[in-house]
Amino acid sequence: MTEESISDVFVINPIPGSNPPVAKKKRNLPGTPGKCLLFPPISNFSEDSLIVIFVNLMTKCCLRFPHMIWVIADPEAEVIALSPKTLMATNRFLCEICGKGFQRDQNLQLHRRGHNLPWKLKQRSTKEVRKRVYVCPEKTCVHHHPSRALGDLTGIKKHFCRKHGEKKWKCDKCSKRYAVQSDWKAHSKTCGTREYKCDCGTLFSRRDSFITHRAFCDALAEETARVNAASSMHSNINHHLIGNQIGPPMAQHFPPIFKQISSNDATIDQTRCGLSLWMGQASQFHDSIPKSLQEIHQFGSVISRSIYSDLLVSTSNPPASGYHLNWVLGNKVSSSHAEELTSTSLPLNNVKENGAQLVSVPSLLSTQKLHSHQPTSANMSATALLQKAAQIGATSTDTSFHGSLGTKCSNSQIQDGNKYSGLYVSNTPPTSFGSDLENSANDISNLNQLQMQPAKRQRLQNEDSSGGQTRDFLGVGVLPICHPSSINGWT
Amino acid sequence: MKLSSAKISKESKGASPSHGGHHKNSFHSKRQSHHSILPLQPVDQLEQWSSVAVDMYNNSSSSNNNNNHHHQPQTSHTSTSRSSDYSAGGDGEPSAVGNKWASRLLKECARAISDKDSSKIHHLLWMLNELASPYGDCDQKLASYFLQALFCKATESGQRCFKTLTLVAEKSHCFDSARKLILKFQEVSPWTTFGHVAANGAILEALDGEPKLHIIDISNTLCTQWPTLLEALATRNDDTPHLKLTVVVTANIVRSVMKEISQRMEKFARLMGVPFEFNVVSGLNHLGQLTKEVLGVVEDEAVAVNCMGALRRVPVEGRAAVIGMFRSLGPKVVTVVEEEADFTSTRYDFVKCFEECLRFYTVYFEMLEESFTPTSNEKLMLERECSRGIVRVLACDDDQDSEGERERRERGSQWSERLKEAFSSVGFSNDVVDDVKALLKRYKPGWALAQPYQNETGLYLTWKEEPVVWVSAWKP
Repeated sequence: MTEESISDVFVINPIPGSNPPVAKKKRNLPGTPGKCLLFPPISNFSEDSLIVIFVNLMTKCCLRFPHMIWVIADPEAEVIALSPKTLMATNRFLCEICGKGFQRDQNLQLHRRGHNLPWKLKQRSTKEVRKRVYVCPEKTCVHHHPSRALGDLTGIKKHFCRKHGEKKWKCDKCSKRYAVQSDWKAHSKTCGTREYKCDCGTLFSRRDSFITHRAFCDALAEETARVNAASSMHSNINHHLIGNQIGPPMAQHFPPIFKQISSNDATIDQTRCGLSLWMGQASQFHDSIPKSLQEIHQFGSVISRSIYSDLLVSTSNPPASGYHLNWVLGNKVSSSHAEELTSTSLPLNNVKENGAQLVSVPSLLSTQKLHSHQPTSANMSATALLQKAAQIGATSTDTSFHGSLGTKCSNSQIQDGNKYSGLYVSNTPPTSFGSDLENSANDISNLNQLQMQPAKRQRLQNEDSSGGQTRDFLGVGVLPICHPSSINGWT
Repeated sequence: MKLSSAKISKESKGASPSHGGHHKNSFHSKRQSHHSILPLQPVDQLEQWSSVAVDMYNNSSSSNNNNNHHHQPQTSHTSTSRSSDYSAGGDGEPSAVGNKWASRLLKECARAISDKDSSKIHHLLWMLNELASPYGDCDQKLASYFLQALFCKATESGQRCFKTLTLVAEKSHCFDSARKLILKFQEVSPWTTFGHVAANGAILEALDGEPKLHIIDISNTLCTQWPTLLEALATRNDDTPHLKLTVVVTANIVRSVMKEISQRMEKFARLMGVPFEFNVVSGLNHLGQLTKEVLGVVEDEAVAVNCMGALRRVPVEGRAAVIGMFRSLGPKVVTVVEEEADFTSTRYDFVKCFEECLRFYTVYFEMLEESFTPTSNEKLMLERECSRGIVRVLACDDDQDSEGERERRERGSQWSERLKEAFSSVGFSNDVVDDVKALLKRYKPGWALAQPYQNETGLYLTWKEEPVVWVSAWKP
């Protein structure tokens, strides 16, 4: 499939009549994406589309939001370019009386009321608000181009700080540096609490001693794979990305991923970068795969390990060669399997029961366990891969996690369900994704705890389902818009 | 044993009348306690016992005027109070020396050897032999290992002893044991990781932005420095440079494990996604034989030289040449990590060298004692490794050494003087200092970072306020 055709698939105009009313912009609600197209049952798609969808899903490692794929097209979004000064400015709105600074004009106005000054709150404009996307002012940055714009003001601010700003915040314990205060805070909460586990079973509380051990560990030398039983996943709970099964053969294949794992806490801009990839740069997804993988890791991603492992397992992967994950996923899947992808229904219900494995993608990829699964068949069809994914997802019992996690992945642009440019995978984020690292860190830790305590998981699941989670095409989570039966339509 | 104790008490009995009043009194009091001496005594009794013997010799030798100049600090002992004897052991207070018997005995023995006072030598060696044990407490261990060196010195069998020790060590040495040892050591003590973190930080900063890196590693830590550097290279930027690591190995023990190490390093670099090349330069007798060609330095690469515990192995006279050779490689940065001890300027004075050696290894042994668990096998192995070093420094003659490698340590200030000839010092950035501080926080308390005064270079790792390791960075 050519890149052009891919983008054609993605740039689909909203189908009139299928648009839900423009919902109030609320970040923390399961968003109704508004002018978006509900991904029709798989049988309605051509093979090519399915392949593209599948490829994008897999390669972007967006298992965190295993939901229906929302194909959004918004060529009319308003592109806003703010200056670096504006982006870095905090509290630009100053009270003339007391000099207090506020981030938003609305807040300042409310404050002025306290001084008995004339104030005016801006009303929400009645006309339809054009979706705004923001570009990064840094010319060398990927997000400088409007096609790679980010949809959230806070997001672009954080991106700019992270990528191009000075790192003023420093962690005491490990002296990692951060440009954004919320990143630093989130890191400080988890710093030192992580445990790193080597393949050989040794636990480390210190990253540097873990790395050194890893380099000399016998487990590194082993080329043999071990069986990756789904039940054994739970033993990997709470383990750092790196700590999780960085088996040599797979490990070799995803240097960029590992890079990001090592970099620990998120630089959300990377995530945004990956997300913006969804925004229509289909042509670039091959290149962006490593980044998207990276972004996943930056989340401390909680991606179903089994899903990943199986997916990767099913692609032929000679250990000795220097594969790269993106090659495995991107090239293999897209090129050789494209034509084999057929419209296969995924057993969504199965996915629900799959216990979300709190293992990051790199760990998934890197685990030695993966190798044992590798049939040398390079010919496993994309359809089969999808099926496998569904099956694995089926064994997961933490659907709610997927839901909540997936929401994290989804760009906060989803919030108001307005126009978006490009493709993105939607979900109903309990917390908005890129804009709130802290929440995600909390959620991750929450998830971890939940993983540890299946009883709690059920509770959370109940809570989430009452909150109206989206359900992905793998059956995890609940799509607010999508009719349940349409989910079953996948089956 | 009873016989010998009786002998001692007899001697002390015999000697006591000839002393001055003060001594007499104290001897009497000691004598009474000595009657009940058994081989294993509480330490304070032991040290009293040893003090008696020491005093006895001092007093007898004081009558030999020709020896007086060696006993300058002790001729006063005969006329002054006992407390001055204690000062020989380095403590001014009698009450505080309960655990210093080893130190005093050893120093006395060293002096005796230097004076070639054979009866005294025999006696002290015998006493040390009775009291020492490599499995006891710090004092006993120090006594044991230094006794070995003293014995070799007295009998001029240092070289042979060293060879034997080396052979024994090589036989039991393998990759697994070496790896386990050094990783465990790094886990409980920042002795080596301090240098690693600081050097890596300096190297990364100096080589930032370079596409081709060549690090020349001459160290004694079996490449445990490099995984964290590889990880940093992989994660720092989007573009990972190519790293060529050339490891220079001279000791036979290390040579045998280099194959395994190289495999692991290569695999790990692949894991990290860092283009990597690993070379080992072995077959050299000493570092003076290194040349640019041997190291494989090519034009377009950015070179960093990492010397960790390496320069001290260069013969003293050849150090300037080796430093000059490093300079000729045109490195962007040279990192030097050494331990704070001076065996070089004292190399012609046995007693001074001995005392310095004892001081340093006392700190080291105490550090090991407190860092490891009491029954740790790794601690025992590290202590045994020290024994070879101690024998070598104290009992082997410089010119006699065929291997050409000697571990004559120098203090940071001394190394600075040498390095200043060819390089200028580079300070460690705040980030690196923060990294080091964060590292030290991860270990047991007692460790601290000391930054020297303005005119000095590098950073010091201190253990209980005593500087033990020095790290510095230099550029041409």
